Amino acid sequence: MKVLVSCRVNGEQHSVLVDPRDTLLELLRERIGLTGTKEGCGNGNCGTCTVLFDGMPVNACLVLALEAPGHEVLTIEGVARGPELDPIQRALVEVGGTQCGFCTPGIVLSAKALLAANPAPSELDIRQAIAGNLCRCTGYNKVVDAIAAAAQATRKRLDHGA
Amino acid sequence: MALDPSPPHARPHRVVGKRLPRVDARQRVTGEAIYPADLALPGMVHAKLLRSPLAHARILGIDTRRARALPGVLAVVTAADFPELPVGEMIPMGETGYDMWMVAAINMARDKVHWVGQPVAAVAALDVHTATAALALIEVSYAPLPVVPDIVTAIAADAPVLHDHVFTKGVEPRPRAPSNVCSRVLIARGDAPAALATAAERAQITVSVDTAHQGYLEPQVVVAQVDANGFATVWASTQGQFTAELMIARMLGLPAAKLRVVPLEVGGGFGGKIAIHGEAVAVRLAQMCRRPVKLVFSREEVLQGGSGPAAGALIEVGVAAAADGRLVAIEGCYRMDAGGLPGLSPSLLMQASAALYQCPNLKLEGFDVVTNKPRTEAYRGPGGIQAAFAMEQAIDALCQRLGIDPLEFRKRNASVTGSLMPIGTPFPAIGLSTILDRVHQHSCWSDPVGVGAYPRGRGLALGYWRGTSMTSAAHITIAGDGRPMVTIGTVDLSGTRSTMAQVVAEEFGVPVEEIHIQTGDSKSVGYSDGAAGSRVARTMTAALVEACADALRQLRMRAAEKLQLPSEALDYADGAFRARQPGGAAISLAELMQASLTEGAVVGRGVSSKLPLGVEIGAHVCDVEVDTDTGLVTVLRYTAFQDVGLALNPAAVEGQIEGSVVQGLGWALLEGFDYGADGRLRNASLLDYRMPTALDVPRIDSVIVETPVPNVPYGVRGVGEVPIVPPAAAVANAIARAIGVRVCRMPMTPERVLGAIRGARGRAA
Repeated sequence: MKVLVSCRVNGEQHSVLVDPRDTLLELLRERIGLTGTKEGCGNGNCGTCTVLFDGMPVNACLVLALEAPGHEVLTIEGVARGPELDPIQRALVEVGGTQCGFCTPGIVLSAKALLAANPAPSELDIRQAIAGNLCRCTGYNKVVDAIAAAAQATRKRLDHGA
Repeated sequence: MALDPSPPHARPHRVVGKRLPRVDARQRVTGEAIYPADLALPGMVHAKLLRSPLAHARILGIDTRRARALPGVLAVVTAADFPELPVGEMIPMGETGYDMWMVAAINMARDKVHWVGQPVAAVAALDVHTATAALALIEVSYAPLPVVPDIVTAIAADAPVLHDHVFTKGVEPRPRAPSNVCSRVLIARGDAPAALATAAERAQITVSVDTAHQGYLEPQVVVAQVDANGFATVWASTQGQFTAELMIARMLGLPAAKLRVVPLEVGGGFGGKIAIHGEAVAVRLAQMCRRPVKLVFSREEVLQGGSGPAAGALIEVGVAAAADGRLVAIEGCYRMDAGGLPGLSPSLLMQASAALYQCPNLKLEGFDVVTNKPRTEAYRGPGGIQAAFAMEQAIDALCQRLGIDPLEFRKRNASVTGSLMPIGTPFPAIGLSTILDRVHQHSCWSDPVGVGAYPRGRGLALGYWRGTSMTSAAHITIAGDGRPMVTIGTVDLSGTRSTMAQVVAEEFGVPVEEIHIQTGDSKSVGYSDGAAGSRVARTMTAALVEACADALRQLRMRAAEKLQLPSEALDYADGAFRARQPGGAAISLAELMQASLTEGAVVGRGVSSKLPLGVEIGAHVCDVEVDTDTGLVTVLRYTAFQDVGLALNPAAVEGQIEGSVVQGLGWALLEGFDYGADGRLRNASLLDYRMPTALDVPRIDSVIVETPVPNVPYGVRGVGEVPIVPPAAAVANAIARAIGVRVCRMPMTPERVLGAIRGARGRAA
């Protein structure tokens, strides 16, 4: 049996039929076709499927699709503004903070939540914010560096009133 | 013909060696990069595998009738739906190859199961829920057999034998009885036992290493489609589209002309995605239900027998030195736990552990042992970290006995260019002495280790990995606007497309942005071996240098015709041919192609095979603090020195080193498979199998040394494997220096560290 669910994802309203057993991750990937959010474990241990749920980072595999109505979901597809990358994305590109790329979307969203709450994070703040996102390729150096660089770039832009 | 392109190193590089972003970085940070799990084809259905709940059993029968009858189920397969393959039918993969009976057994058990999680049947259904429900309706009747859970049980005289047709290779006379010891390798020179017995000082250590997992974040996944002509297309997460194609074709009895493997982005491989895991099963299901089939492993499946983890090990090492600190003997016994099917030869890991020391007496003996655990696969320098955990601790213990600084000891005994490798051939150019000098000059070695709440120590360990070359192919077509369009035959695991675009840009003298580069599928580019053995950047560079020269040769002939000059009178630089005399005519590649596109395609081709090896050498220094109340080890500082020949892209090289070290630290301190006596994995989740998070590891500092490999384009060495080799030994040596106790079990979890501390106290009391 399918259920009709209406929700807002990346600022767009979607109405889709879901299986009551579907997770938010399945809703995003299989019903709406937003495949940028990846599944690494399906039980909340790897952080690969991190999305923002009303601004809070959550594992989309731990949220039921039926819980989505009434909430604002931000996925990796909604982070860049058209061709203009978010400072976090730009820094990951420039520093080399993405390798196989499978964990990258989740890390971008964890970092986005961090910088929204704390524009001047310390290295420990950054490591804590992404501690729920496993990365097997980078050893985290360049991810941490990129988030620090993005924070600095954002602060500079704000200081200059841009 | 020495005109095109300029010989490497003849001029400063403009693109190669630069810290440039990956060509595909934007797709990765925006979620646009396509992995096989992201594919959805019209009419696509979903497959699930039924896996053995037993570690060792005979399959008496499989009844699939009830599953087939479930509405929504489209097809069910078992081993009976695949040809039975004989032992010894090999798929080429470098020097070793894959025996197809084993590849088939990894994908579908026949008659017997050898580990928990081995597939026994598969279902395709309209949706995943129905496929899962159908699995529960398949009735498999098993006759359980005694479980052989570990090496010690496997090699006991009365052990149940896993495979009736496996006789120990490498012993004379040929054994009459089958054995769980699949092969034995001996590498020896001089008389190591005698030298050990008589030397001034010696150290011995026995270590055991738990099975660990490569830990790629993307589980195994495949989408298969079969068209009306019976032509199959497989979209896979694979390290080698050609190896996968050969394996799938053989397992199905399908002509290779009827099959194409398309490698999409790979969410990590590290050695675990060379063999196929489900690809052929998905094709068979697609043939049967005439619809595209998608098969995605769950994380639990990946960990609980659905993929090959890395080999556990039992290793004993003895080393001895003269009073002046000269190493006189190395003796090692390496027993590797291959899991349920024969594994890799232990030869390479044995050699790796001893290669960096000049030593007159050597005896290395290795055994490949089967147990009722998942068939293991390669993991980044396979066996290197296990062997180094033993050898580099033994060397460190010997230094302590001798009262010699461990760096000084390595300097006195280090292999240099021309030293004999364990197998007796001389080393080509290596930069180990340079590395050791760099360690000596670095603050990571000279800074005080500092005082903390608990004891601290500093450890040093070396690492060696031989790597391999095999074959790589590429071609370059020149577009109508003169730009090089590059197709490579190897999968991109480590930023290959980016570094290779740099190489082509350098050879053509054009900006890297002008290069389009793609990975070909198994029907659109020449045969290339898989991305493994630190071989791709080196061999693909060689193939591309050849392909660039080939394309430029063709372009030169065209340019000569257009400019009406002899081709020798032209110089090529920066994307244009120019007459050599001052003020002479010139034609850019864009003008040339616009003027001559309809005269025929320009395709440059390049193949690399039997390229000289680019052996990898590193030295790692690490500081730890050991909480003697809990056994928790904190890594405070970590520095990795590595000779990379030439860094094609320093950011990519650092990325390989940093990631590899952190994988090593994970195995050193956190990661180990916890098997019950029944052969069932008790920690088959990423919560209980703990890989390092950003909070578990410090910043990893990399120091890059460049000693070019002779007779190799750009002098490139392998990079990605060796940095995982030293970390466990470096940490163990730091622990020993901190608390005076050696931890001989890996991972060195808090309880094991505490156990070692209490054991030492007990012995002292």
